[in-house]
Amino acid sequence: MKIKKALLKDTFKEIKKSYKRFISILMMALLGVGFFAGLRASSPDMVDSIDTYYKNQNVYDIEVMSTLGLTDADIEALSNIENVENVYGTYSRDGLIQTNDKEIVSKILCVDDVNQPVLVEGNMPENIDECVVEKSFLEGTGKKIGDYIDIEPEETESTGTTDGEETEYLKNKTLKIVGVVESPLYISRERGSTKLGTGVINYYIYVNKENVNSEVYTEIYITLENRNKYQTGSHKYENYVEETKDKIEEIKEERENARYQELIDEANAEIEKAEEEFNTEKQNGEMQLQDAENKINEGKEQIESGEAEINSNERTANQQFQSAEAKIESAKTEVAKNALRLNNEKIEAEKGFAEAENQKAGLQSTLDNINNAIKITDNSIAEKQAQLETAETEEEIATINQEIAKLQATRQVYETNKQSVEAGMTEIDNQIASGRQELQNAEAQIDSARKQIQSQEASLQQTKNKTYTQIANARKELEASKQEIVDAEAELETSRAEFNTKIQEAEGKLIDAREKVSEIEKAEWYILDRQQNAGYSSYIQDTESIENLSIVFPIVFFAIAALVSLTSMTRMVEEERQEIGTLKALGYNKFHIMLKYIIYSSLACIIGGVIGMNIGFQLLPRIIWDMYEMMYTLPEFIVSFNHQYSSMGLGLIYICIVGATLYTILKEVKETPATLLRPKAPKYGKRVLLERIGFIWKRLKFSHKVTVRNIFRYKKRFLMTIIGIMGCTSLILAGFGLKDSIASILPNQYEDIFHYDMLVSLKTALTEEQRNTYIENLKQKENIQEVVETYMESGTAEKGDNSETVQIVVPSDNQEIDKVIKLRDVKTKEPFTLSEEGIIITDKLAELINANVGDTITVTTADDIEKEIKVVGITENYISHYVYMSKALYQQVFDETYSTNVLLVQDNNLNEEQEETVMQEMVAQNEVQTVTLTTTTMKTLDDTMSSLNYVVIVLIVSAGLLAFVVLYNLSNINIGERIRELATIKVLGFYDREVYDYVTRETIILTIIGILLGLVVGYFLNFYILGTCEINILRFAKVIHPISYLYATAITLVFSIIVNIVTYFALKKIDMIGSLKSVE
Amino acid sequence: MAYIEFKNVCKEYKMGEIIIKALNNTNFSIEKGELVVVVGPSGAGKTTALNILGGMDTVTSGDVIVDGKNVAKLKNKQLIKYRREDIGFVFQFYNLVQNLTAIENVELATQICKDSLSPDEVMEKVGLADRKKNFPSQLSGGEQQRVAIARAIAKNPKLLLCDEPTGALDYKTGKQILKLLQDTARKENMTVIIITHNAAIAPMADKIIRFKNGTAESIESNQNPIPVENIEW
Repeated sequence: MKIKKALLKDTFKEIKKSYKRFISILMMALLGVGFFAGLRASSPDMVDSIDTYYKNQNVYDIEVMSTLGLTDADIEALSNIENVENVYGTYSRDGLIQTNDKEIVSKILCVDDVNQPVLVEGNMPENIDECVVEKSFLEGTGKKIGDYIDIEPEETESTGTTDGEETEYLKNKTLKIVGVVESPLYISRERGSTKLGTGVINYYIYVNKENVNSEVYTEIYITLENRNKYQTGSHKYENYVEETKDKIEEIKEERENARYQELIDEANAEIEKAEEEFNTEKQNGEMQLQDAENKINEGKEQIESGEAEINSNERTANQQFQSAEAKIESAKTEVAKNALRLNNEKIEAEKGFAEAENQKAGLQSTLDNINNAIKITDNSIAEKQAQLETAETEEEIATINQEIAKLQATRQVYETNKQSVEAGMTEIDNQIASGRQELQNAEAQIDSARKQIQSQEASLQQTKNKTYTQIANARKELEASKQEIVDAEAELETSRAEFNTKIQEAEGKLIDAREKVSEIEKAEWYILDRQQNAGYSSYIQDTESIENLSIVFPIVFFAIAALVSLTSMTRMVEEERQEIGTLKALGYNKFHIMLKYIIYSSLACIIGGVIGMNIGFQLLPRIIWDMYEMMYTLPEFIVSFNHQYSSMGLGLIYICIVGATLYTILKEVKETPATLLRPKAPKYGKRVLLERIGFIWKRLKFSHKVTVRNIFRYKKRFLMTIIGIMGCTSLILAGFGLKDSIASILPNQYEDIFHYDMLVSLKTALTEEQRNTYIENLKQKENIQEVVETYMESGTAEKGDNSETVQIVVPSDNQEIDKVIKLRDVKTKEPFTLSEEGIIITDKLAELINANVGDTITVTTADDIEKEIKVVGITENYISHYVYMSKALYQQVFDETYSTNVLLVQDNNLNEEQEETVMQEMVAQNEVQTVTLTTTTMKTLDDTMSSLNYVVIVLIVSAGLLAFVVLYNLSNINIGERIRELATIKVLGFYDREVYDYVTRETIILTIIGILLGLVVGYFLNFYILGTCEINILRFAKVIHPISYLYATAITLVFSIIVNIVTYFALKKIDMIGSLKSVE
Repeated sequence: MAYIEFKNVCKEYKMGEIIIKALNNTNFSIEKGELVVVVGPSGAGKTTALNILGGMDTVTSGDVIVDGKNVAKLKNKQLIKYRREDIGFVFQFYNLVQNLTAIENVELATQICKDSLSPDEVMEKVGLADRKKNFPSQLSGGEQQRVAIARAIAKNPKLLLCDEPTGALDYKTGKQILKLLQDTARKENMTVIIITHNAAIAPMADKIIRFKNGTAESIESNQNPIPVENIEW
């Protein structure tokens, strides 16, 4: 024991002394085990996580759907099947939600005991006006918890009621968002397709089950008794599920028929009811029409009597007016007569007046004469008086007096005359005035008579007007009534017409309904399991890819670890050759001597391994999960310490490292102590092959000769550098190659092979005529360039034990199809044409079912018709499997009436937005079932595939680590092993740079060789990795772009440059004196 | 002024806590073309002095003048240049590059020197013209040491420094090597310094420096050096 203690002490001292070496071995173990355990555990961890998730959320094991919906009777029947634990009937439907600017389609699910969603935030919908959504719904629509949304569930051609009266699927269509959930049914971003909107379901929402108004269940979910015993995805689980599915299969037909019969009965009952209703409706309608007609007739009669009355009224009025008018007329004549008479009188009177005036004028002149005589007399008087004055005689006075008296008498006479004349004049005047007065009076009389007549006339006119207006109004009213009647008649006519068409329609509907009843298709059950869940199945597939990858990488690491340990331990043993010799000379046995090295390497290995596995188990699955988390939503990722992989990893690395140690030490301890105590003969210099080729050797610079010799001198180092660099380059190249391959799948499939932009599937119920019209119309559209008709259905292709799901494509024209799908040989690119000879299958399918040209394979259609058909061509394809068949062959083999159901449409290079618009237009049309845009498909696939890019990152990082460890180790060993030589050339006066060149020139050459080999190995490694992580439905294009070779080279060079820089400083530090003093 | 001068040179090493004085105020001088033998017991500091003189080690204090140049003050790169151009080294264990043939080992030195001698001529001088294509492992110890000397003198150095050149050789071969060194000093007028713990060979030198306890205890000029052939030990 004491011996052992001393040895142990020595071992620990050794570790302390050569900690760099110890750490490098430890690092190799750490990396090897870490990568192995971590990578290998990633896939189980992922499976474990989904398993736990599914168990916690009580996720279904089997799902049953039916084309005609499912009933409680179905549940009852399913419950009785062996293994079945619980059966849940539940509802789901697609619905449209209008948000600010867009229309989104959502799957409406019900909160149930099965497939329970995980509540992330808020509450579950406890009331019927509440709902919960997924997180991305809030992000996508900008809604918050507490907001309301309006949802319009899809109107289906009802699984349930036969016709008409579609009950609202949701009782409450305005829903308050009360929480955020994650659904175990949708762990990926894939939400499925729909007939609504753009055909893609954007989100799912959960509503309270009470809110749903549906006669039938849309899905039945089944959980199995022993589900918790098995891990999901495991063979045991799958067998268990499969077994139960087979049992369900047994009751399937019976249940399908039952449901069918139920529907038929229901429908018939409803038709009867409808018929009755129709008849009563018809009678009522007819009665109503009769009433209306009667009313019209009554109205007509009334109008007629009214018209007669008006006419008679008019007549009497006219008579009255005529007599009144006659009276007025006679009065008028009278007046006229009087007026005439008056006029004559007037004329007479005027004549009289004129005479009187003449008399008057005569009187006037008499008067004037009288007045003159008076004046003369007066004058004579005046003269006589004047004479009197002068006359003195009395005689004379007397005579004069006499004369005066005489004169005065005369004058007196004159005066009297004058008065009588004047009186005569006045009388004349009076006579005229009175005559005039009389005339005036007469005129006035006539005038008043006239006025009277006028007023009489006016009043008559008024009365007339009034009367006539009244009559006219009455007439108008009558006219209106007449119009009313006409209108009423017209109305009646239209009502009658309407009634007739309605009746016809109703009759037609009844007939249709009856027809429909006869057309009710048989129910078809779909019995599904978790593998048909898009998210789940791609998740499980991904875990398989990871598992495949996790086998490849650790191999490289283990190989490198073994090599590094081998060189390190060889170096160590060589360094301690004398010590070994001494121990041996002292009498230690082989075992004890070996023990030190075994302990040394075991310690490095176990410590490194344990650290590595702990880091690996935690880190790698998480890193990988981080990458996959972008694609999958799981509430929790479970990382566990996997004992199987940890012990396996540690065991493997232990074998590699300690094995390498044993190999070295065993070789050494075999020798005698004497040999060991002598310094080991330095490696002999040797001529290399190149020296014998004189003309090359002579041309080499001296330093290059040295390099060439050294390269071949240290074989282990040579090997290790090359393998290390090769590993690094090849891993990086494989990584980039993988990326290239993945990236080229989409363009290869959708740019080189498929040339259509939209896949339009038509409704099956269309008649030949409807279809043709639709296609013609579509072809006319300006946006559409090419429309190719095909028939497509899914089926299986089988050969031997291998079977794959395929799409059977039967174009209507063997030439036309070439416009949208290129059928060509994989290698020669020679185009194929469909013929009656046989089918053309896609290459990956051929590979999977192991079919060659000339072989016969079994093709099964969706209707389960199995036929053997010869393969005549294998065509290039990258995504999914297809079987192409000519129309003639299809008809001949499957003996079916052929009709196209899918249009492959090429548009005029529309951009995405335009395509969306076109697509929405199309979906809205009756003839169209769904439209799938190639761009959308590409986007979805692109998302899926981009996750594989992370594999590339993992590859590059691990390659980098690898390169670093190897090169660093190498550089250490290189310096350690050749320290004397290096010290010598330093003493000789080599500058640092020259010393560096002296050493690294070899490394550089080896690196270049390693890179070149790495590129070759990487090329094959890439194909190997492609092979292991290739998904069944994908064929990776085996391409590596030239730039990838460049990247791989450049990245490797960067790593080696970094290591070289480290080397440069290590070389600078070499202690010449110390190194030269000792004997090796 | 002497060709080589050690003035008050001190050299201390730190070994953990302890400071070891390898050289303690050492003074000596050597003339051009002299063959100097340095003797002294192990640990007396002779190798340290030689390393310092050869530009392989630095001083703690003091000056080392070689041909008017103070080596003690040289920086790293200048030191390498000094080694490259002015110094030839011969070691006890030859230190040949195993992977190079004899002539290639010489070429290794000549290819980096400006005024180097022809490797073939040098090989002839050391008497190995017919073995120059052999690898070190194919040569005897004496032959290997001859190659080492050829490598050192082919650089045409100012100083040829030899640290125990005969230490690993038998008597007869050792003598032949010493003869070669003495001849080189005489014929090429090269300054040669030989370190040995074998005081018996001292009479062959022009100058004998005795080291003890890290210092040159005595410096003794020998007016009549004895040819090596005549020395027995």
